[in-house]
Amino acid sequence: MRLGAKNEYQPSIPTASMADIAFLLIIFFMLTITYEVDKTQLTIPKTQIRMEVPKKAAYVSVDPNGRLRVSNGEEMSALVPGVEDVLSFAASIIATDPGKAFVLKADTETEYRNVDEVLDALKRAKVEIIYLLSNAETVDDATSGE
Amino acid sequence: MKFKRERVTDEIPTSSMADIAFLLIIYFMITMTFTATRGLDFAPPKDDDNPPIIEREDSVLIEIQPNGDLIVDQRPMRLDELIDYLKPKLERNPEKPVIIRPEASAPYGRMVDVMDELRQGKEKAGLKEEIRISLPTQREIDSLWF
Repeated sequence: MRLGAKNEYQPSIPTASMADIAFLLIIFFMLTITYEVDKTQLTIPKTQIRMEVPKKAAYVSVDPNGRLRVSNGEEMSALVPGVEDVLSFAASIIATDPGKAFVLKADTETEYRNVDEVLDALKRAKVEIIYLLSNAETVDDATSGE
Repeated sequence: MKFKRERVTDEIPTSSMADIAFLLIIYFMITMTFTATRGLDFAPPKDDDNPPIIEREDSVLIEIQPNGDLIVDQRPMRLDELIDYLKPKLERNPEKPVIIRPEASAPYGRMVDVMDELRQGKEKAGLKEEIRISLPTQREIDSLWF
């Protein structure tokens, strides 16, 4: 008895849903992406207390040589000549958005006098909250710290 | 003569959609920063017409030397001894301010270490309230204390 003609199946990978998956991934990335507004390469301190910085917080970075960069949180950071420029920059931001958070990104080896001047400028500009940017401290870091 | 009519079916060409989608995914993956931006939050005191006058004797003064050593109330101390020293004082007076005063040439990272340790004080020492940390700038010290 003949059971009928054999159906021949061509092996193939189903790709119909690939575009759907890809677009779902794109939507995920578009919603979660945060652009780094300050790309200054610094060794920032490590802490155990770490609070999440609000999105679009303004940045002030201080490198080990005391060079200052500022960003309003939306544009890339730009070099400024002195601490008075940080004061005028912060004051102009606070004038439009009094609750704006500021992030201080400084190298761990920066002399404190440079940071002190920036903190003073931010206080004079009436900044309400400052985040001292840090990395997570591991147990090894904590035990080797002392 | 009979002409063969070619049938044209209406369709949107979607064959390159997956390629475009994956290119976008690659772009987002490269530009994305996975690490959440976090840091030690610090709120400068708000403007007050009548700021409380704090005598140095009523507070704990932590000085940070240029080499990173700590002098607490004029006594050398290690960072891990700080909370044990503060605990009895803060149990007697939870509102006692703890003033951090780094030397101008002290490393910024050391100040962050001290602030991180103090922020953990409530949990480590089992205190009822957060430690009141004060980080006056050099201008404030010059204008208020001397």
